[in-house]
Amino acid sequence: MIISKRQLLSLACSVAIVAAWSVPAFSQNKDAIKVGVPTALTGPYGDLGNQVRRAVEFAVEEANTKGGVDGRKVEVQFQDTQAKADSARQQGEKLALSGYKLLVGTIASGEGLALNPMLERWDALYISTINKADALTGESCSPRSFRVNHPDYSDASAVGTWLKTQQQGKWAVMGSDTAWGRNSGASFKTTAEGMGKSVVTEGYAALGANDFAPYIQQFVSSGAEGIWVALAGRDAINFAQQAAQFGLLKKVNVAGVSFVTDNTVATLGDVSKGIWGIINYSSTLDTPENKAFVAAWGKKYPGTQPSNFEGETYVGMQVLFQAVTKAKSVKPADVAKAMSGGSFDTVFGKSELRAKDNQLVVPNYFGRVDTHEGGLRPVISLTVPKDVATPGPDAKCKM
Amino acid sequence: MIIQVLNGLVYGGMLYILSVGLVLLFGLRRVVNFAHGGLFMLGAYAGYAASMQFGFWGGVVFSVVALAVLGALLDRLVFRPLQNVDHMITVLVTYGLLLVFEDFVHTVWGADLISVRVPALLAGTIGIGDTQFPVYRLVVIAVAIAVALGLSAWLHFSRAGLYVRASSVDSLTTAMQGVDTERLSIGVVALGTALAGLSGVVAAPLIALSPSMGSSILIESFIVVVTGGLGSFVGAFIAAIVIGQVHNFGVVYLPNVSSMLPLLLMVGVLIWRPTGLARTQS
Repeated sequence: MIISKRQLLSLACSVAIVAAWSVPAFSQNKDAIKVGVPTALTGPYGDLGNQVRRAVEFAVEEANTKGGVDGRKVEVQFQDTQAKADSARQQGEKLALSGYKLLVGTIASGEGLALNPMLERWDALYISTINKADALTGESCSPRSFRVNHPDYSDASAVGTWLKTQQQGKWAVMGSDTAWGRNSGASFKTTAEGMGKSVVTEGYAALGANDFAPYIQQFVSSGAEGIWVALAGRDAINFAQQAAQFGLLKKVNVAGVSFVTDNTVATLGDVSKGIWGIINYSSTLDTPENKAFVAAWGKKYPGTQPSNFEGETYVGMQVLFQAVTKAKSVKPADVAKAMSGGSFDTVFGKSELRAKDNQLVVPNYFGRVDTHEGGLRPVISLTVPKDVATPGPDAKCKM
Repeated sequence: MIIQVLNGLVYGGMLYILSVGLVLLFGLRRVVNFAHGGLFMLGAYAGYAASMQFGFWGGVVFSVVALAVLGALLDRLVFRPLQNVDHMITVLVTYGLLLVFEDFVHTVWGADLISVRVPALLAGTIGIGDTQFPVYRLVVIAVAIAVALGLSAWLHFSRAGLYVRASSVDSLTTAMQGVDTERLSIGVVALGTALAGLSGVVAAPLIALSPSMGSSILIESFIVVVTGGLGSFVGAFIAAIVIGQVHNFGVVYLPNVSSMLPLLLMVGVLIWRPTGLARTQS
C-alpha cells in the first residue's frame, strides 16, 4: 500500500490529536506543585516510610490523571531519613532548596520537631501525617507547620473512653524510647491513674531494638493485667512476636497505639487477634469520601486496602491540594494562609484545620483485631466524636 | 533471675553465631566485613523462602548451604583482592555490598515486614520455676553451644583447624610451610558466611524480617568482635555471652542507659586491655 504525503500528514495529525486528548492538559502558565517527602525509606520504620510513599504516589497519580490540581501538575521527590531527626532536617533542607518546599510525611515525631523551627528560614511548609508528639502543635508549633493526623492527646482521650470499659487495674507500658513513645506512655499513665488504675512497670526500648525478652519478663514478674504498647513498625512486630512466644498475649489484655494497623495484622496473622488499639484511620470508615478512596486504592494496588498510615498520609495530600486550589498559588506562605482555619473535604468528611494550633479536627476510633469479611482486620468498636477526640488547642502554642 | 540469665544467653548466643563468622573472616583474610549484617539478613530471607517449600528445617539447611556458596564466591571475587589493600577501601567496598544486599531483598520481597513462625514442634513453653519459658529460645542457646563446641573441636583437633589457627596468626609463614592458604581461606570464608546464614535463619522466628535487619545487628556484632579481641574465637564467645547479660540486666536495673552499656563495656575493655578480652596478636 502506498501512502501519499497528504495521508501521512493527516495520520500524524490524528495521532497528535488523540495523544493530546489522552494526556492530561496542565496549564503552561502555572507553576507545578512540588511536594517533598523526607521519610524513612530504610531503617526500623522503613515499612512505614514505604506506606507514606505509596499513599503520596497514589494521591499524585490520582491528581495528575484528573488534569492536575487547579491545572497544575503535581511533582514529588522522596528522600530517605531513616527516621532520624538530624537526617530529616538535612533532607528537608535539601528538598526545600531544590524547590520542593511543600514537605509531607516524616515518621518519627523527632523528625517533625526538627523541621518546624527551620520552615520559615527555608520558606517551606510542612504537613505532619504521622508525627504524634503533642509539642508539634503545642510548644513547638509554627505558622508553617500543620498536623492532619491525631496527636497523642487525641489518642489519650480515645484511650480514656475505652479504658473505662476495661476491668484490669494493673497496667504496664511498653514504649519506644522516642519523643512519641514517651509521650504516649505518659499520657496513658495519667489517664489510667485518673481512673484509679495503676501503671506498675514501664519499659522504653531503643528504636530498632531486636530483643524484647527482658521487658516481657519484667511485665510477667510485675503482675500487670494489661499492657499499653506504643511501638510501631518493626519494633511492634518484634515485641508482639516475642510476647506471643512467652504466652503473654493470651494472659493479659494488650492494647496500643500505631500497634493495630492493617500492616501489623497482615504480618502477625493470628498472633494479633484480639489485640486492642487506637485506630486513627480505617479503610472500613463509613463515609462516601472514604469509600471512593478505598475503591480507587484497590484499583491501583489490587487486593489491598489502605492502611492506617496510608489513609492519614492521603488526608495530608487532600488538604494540601485543596489549599493550593484555594490559594491559587504554590508559594508556601500563600498555601499556609489558605490552610490555617480552612475547611477541607477529607476521608473523615468535612474537617476544619484549627487556626490556633494548625491541628485538623477529626474524630478518633478504638477497636480490636477481629475477623472481618473473611480476614483479620482492625475493626472499629468505639468512635470518639471530634469535639472529644480533638479538644481545644494547646495553650503552649504561640504562633 | 534464672529467666533473665537465660534471656541473656539467647541474645548472646545469637550474637555469637553471627560474630564468630566475622572473626573467621578477619582471621584469615584480614577483612573487616561490613557486609556481614547483609549476609545475616540474606540468610533469614533465604531460610524463609525455602521454608515455604521445605519447612523450617529445610529452610535452615538451604540458608546455610546457599550462604556458604555465596561466601566462596565473595572470597574469590571480593575478599581475596581486598586482603592487602587499605582498610578504608575494604570498609567502603563491604559497606557497599551491604547496601546491594539490602536493595536486592527490597526488590525481591519488598519493604513490608515478614514474621516467621516457630516450627510447631518447638512452639510451646516449658516451666522453669514458676515462669513459662519458650522452648525455641532454649533451642537457640543449644545451637550456639553446638556451634561453639563444634568450632572449637574443629580448630583444635583437626589438621584444617591447625592450619586455620596458624594462618590467622601468620599467613605468610603458614604458606611457606606448604599449606595452601588460598584454598583454606575459601573454605573458612564459606564457613563464616554459612554461620551468618545460620544466625539469620535461627533469629528469624524472634525478629521480624526486613531489609534493614542486618544493619541493626551489625553494630552489636562488631562490639562483640572488638571486645573479645579481633581474630579471637574464645574472645568472641566470652564477649557475646557477657554482652547478652549486660543487655538483659541493663534493661532491668539501668533502663535509662541500657542501650549504651555494651558500648561502655567495649570502651572499658579496650582501655583495660587494648587487644580485647582474650589477648591476641592482632
